[in-house]
Amino acid sequence: MLSRVAERLYWLARYLERTEDTARLILVWHQSALDMPRSAQPGWDRLLESLGAQSAFAQLPGAANEKNIVSFVFSERGNPSSIISSLTAARENMRTTREIMPSETWVQVNSLYLSVARRSNKPLPKGSRHSVLNGVINTCQQIAGNLSGTMNHDAAYQFVRMGSALERADMTTRIIDVASADLASMSDEGLPYQNMLWISVLRSLSAYQSYRLGVRARVNPADVVEFLLASNEFPRALGYCLREVEASMKLLPRRNRALKMVRSVLAELDATDCSELAGDDLHQFIDDMQLHLQSIGAAISETWLSPDHKL
Amino acid sequence: MTGSRIKAPTPYQRPNTGYDWNEYDPGGFYDEIISSPGNARAASRGLVAYIRKMSAKRLISRQQATDLAIKEMGISFTVYSDGENIDRAWPMDIIPRIIALREWQGLEAGLIQRLTALNMFIDDIYNKQQILKDGVVPKELILSSPDFLEACMGAKPPHRVWSHICGSDLVRDGDGTMYVLEDNLRVPSGVSYMLENRAVSKRILPQLFENSAIQPVDDYPSQLFEMLASLSPRKSDSPEIVVMTPGVFNSAYFEHAYLAQRMGAELVEGPDLFVDKHDKVHMRTIRGLEQVDVVYRRVNDDFLDPEVFNPGSMLGTAGLFRAWRKGNVGLANAPGSGVADDKIIYTYVPAIIKYYLDQDPLIPNVPSFLCVNKQHQQHVLANLENMVVKPANESGGYGMLIGPASTKKERQEFTALIKKNPRNYMAQPALSLSTAPTLCGNSLQPRHLDLRPFVLQGKSHYVTAGGLTRVALRKGSLVVNSSQGGGSKDTWILDTEAS
Repeated sequence: MLSRVAERLYWLARYLERTEDTARLILVWHQSALDMPRSAQPGWDRLLESLGAQSAFAQLPGAANEKNIVSFVFSERGNPSSIISSLTAARENMRTTREIMPSETWVQVNSLYLSVARRSNKPLPKGSRHSVLNGVINTCQQIAGNLSGTMNHDAAYQFVRMGSALERADMTTRIIDVASADLASMSDEGLPYQNMLWISVLRSLSAYQSYRLGVRARVNPADVVEFLLASNEFPRALGYCLREVEASMKLLPRRNRALKMVRSVLAELDATDCSELAGDDLHQFIDDMQLHLQSIGAAISETWLSPDHKL
Repeated sequence: MTGSRIKAPTPYQRPNTGYDWNEYDPGGFYDEIISSPGNARAASRGLVAYIRKMSAKRLISRQQATDLAIKEMGISFTVYSDGENIDRAWPMDIIPRIIALREWQGLEAGLIQRLTALNMFIDDIYNKQQILKDGVVPKELILSSPDFLEACMGAKPPHRVWSHICGSDLVRDGDGTMYVLEDNLRVPSGVSYMLENRAVSKRILPQLFENSAIQPVDDYPSQLFEMLASLSPRKSDSPEIVVMTPGVFNSAYFEHAYLAQRMGAELVEGPDLFVDKHDKVHMRTIRGLEQVDVVYRRVNDDFLDPEVFNPGSMLGTAGLFRAWRKGNVGLANAPGSGVADDKIIYTYVPAIIKYYLDQDPLIPNVPSFLCVNKQHQQHVLANLENMVVKPANESGGYGMLIGPASTKKERQEFTALIKKNPRNYMAQPALSLSTAPTLCGNSLQPRHLDLRPFVLQGKSHYVTAGGLTRVALRKGSLVVNSSQGGGSKDTWILDTEAS
């Protein structure tokens, strides 16, 4: 299998996952904003922060209000991490690997792109926000289902799987980080709402029910953090995602270095009692994990995607 | 029983609501399907009878089924317009074009003869240049040609074959004679559409396939694979063969992907390949570097290798040419093959066949006039209205003047162009191209067509049974290129003596 093809599949999966996760994020902010009193609402700029997009936003005209931020994250082509930008990249990667992908998935990616592109650089009105974002999430789920249900689970598929898992891990850690920073900055007036904040965190990851089933405890920060970081059962938890990456790597040639790296990160995660993490410790831990994810991404790239072959 | 006065009751005859062939009249043109209104040519009898039973409505619904099948199968081509690449569904007319096997066998022999001679010519040009020394082809014509690649001098590719895949365009004139209109010796395209047209028409007209001996075309990919394998420098049972594409923006990308898939070869782009210091070619895979034996390149010479040709090329692979010169990799077609398909060289092909094979051409050339020749030029300029003027080095029907369809202003422009750069132009009398019935709107109309068979030459020869028939969909038009509104037809070589 050509490295270039592997690279496109990997990034196709990452961009599709990013599209889905970003849609989840906007949706949850939208919903939790409806629940909280105005004074306790975390600012919409937190949404930008969790996407690392503050500086990109600041470069564009327009105040940091809800309407502008939502359209910046959803449909602004000038924002490289917006949903429309992710979909454009996903579609381009798929267009160039069409011959090895199930043909229905191309149609799905293309029509999802077209449906979002129709709204590009336009605001996303509150009235249609829920249905539009849900539509994006559902289509992404369908595409992922189609890929896992109809593609050969060969080397090509392992790159799709690693791409999704790594992107997911990245997004989960970002969300936890922003939520904990929110807690730290909350005024006393906001404190009664802190459980609601964690519930919305769980919701943004479609984790609320899984948490209830898996943890069987009321929502409290320590359990939520442990669940989202260390669970080996919940498919969006950091630990689960890393094990996915590990499982995929085991099926690929020339895996030793990259695999060793993933295993050492897993060992570090296993050795940490995540329920004890809070405040600065939590932030520091997540920072470390993000750096590890980046190095895993770099190792994947160096090993399989764009290796520097010298003889 | 004689003498009975009572006649048997007249059986009820369903009124014939099918297609009335008397309505189809190609006028003065040679038609591929009928010999005169209402009368089928021998090979087309089955088809004509079949359509006679079909109402216009059914014919149209078959065409719609065809269009749908093409969309579903994702058969497309890319056009570049308004700064954007558009993927268009491939246009195919359901009425096939039929050629009798006996006639085809003659054409097949002619195509093989032609390619054999052309390959001997290219090999001679890049080695001894005997044909130039003997004055059969003027030396300055070759040496001034932009397609003559100095860098190829002295190269001796396997089997001494340079153009391994050739697509020659055949046209039929008013009296029924087939001519070679041009040779495509560089990177001819269209073969995937020939294969897909057949796949579609088997789906749409299965009854006709059951009842007649239509020569199959499906073995092209395996023939292509065998031919490419015969170029491998490493003698192994499974040489590593790749198809090299300029990428997804190329108009023939569909075909590149299609052929790679059918041959089980990797579809690579220039940056996927890497030439090491021992001049061996490798591709970058997830397993590391893997040595490549044969490259079926669909990238033009100019962009093939930035070390030797266009240094700004991002589509090629640095060092590929060097690896080929060393004999470490097979390249199909070999660089420099274009020296023999220039439209000026075309006029010398009959002489080239005579020179190398001591044979007369089995398929004639269209009479041609070289504008570089003063007398010819005068004749061309005086008769522009009846001429087709072609630039030497363009393909896809661009930059041409079609005399009978031209305006006075266009003719004035071309007069100036020809006078300014006569080496760059040749002209041919406008042929009255043959027609075939084509479904236009809701009736069958005569439309002009050509035929592009594909010829392979490696250790041995292979010719596709038929080829790609391209049809000009606009009334009276002679331009068949799909980029300019042309359509296509499935082409049947039919053995009338078998069934």
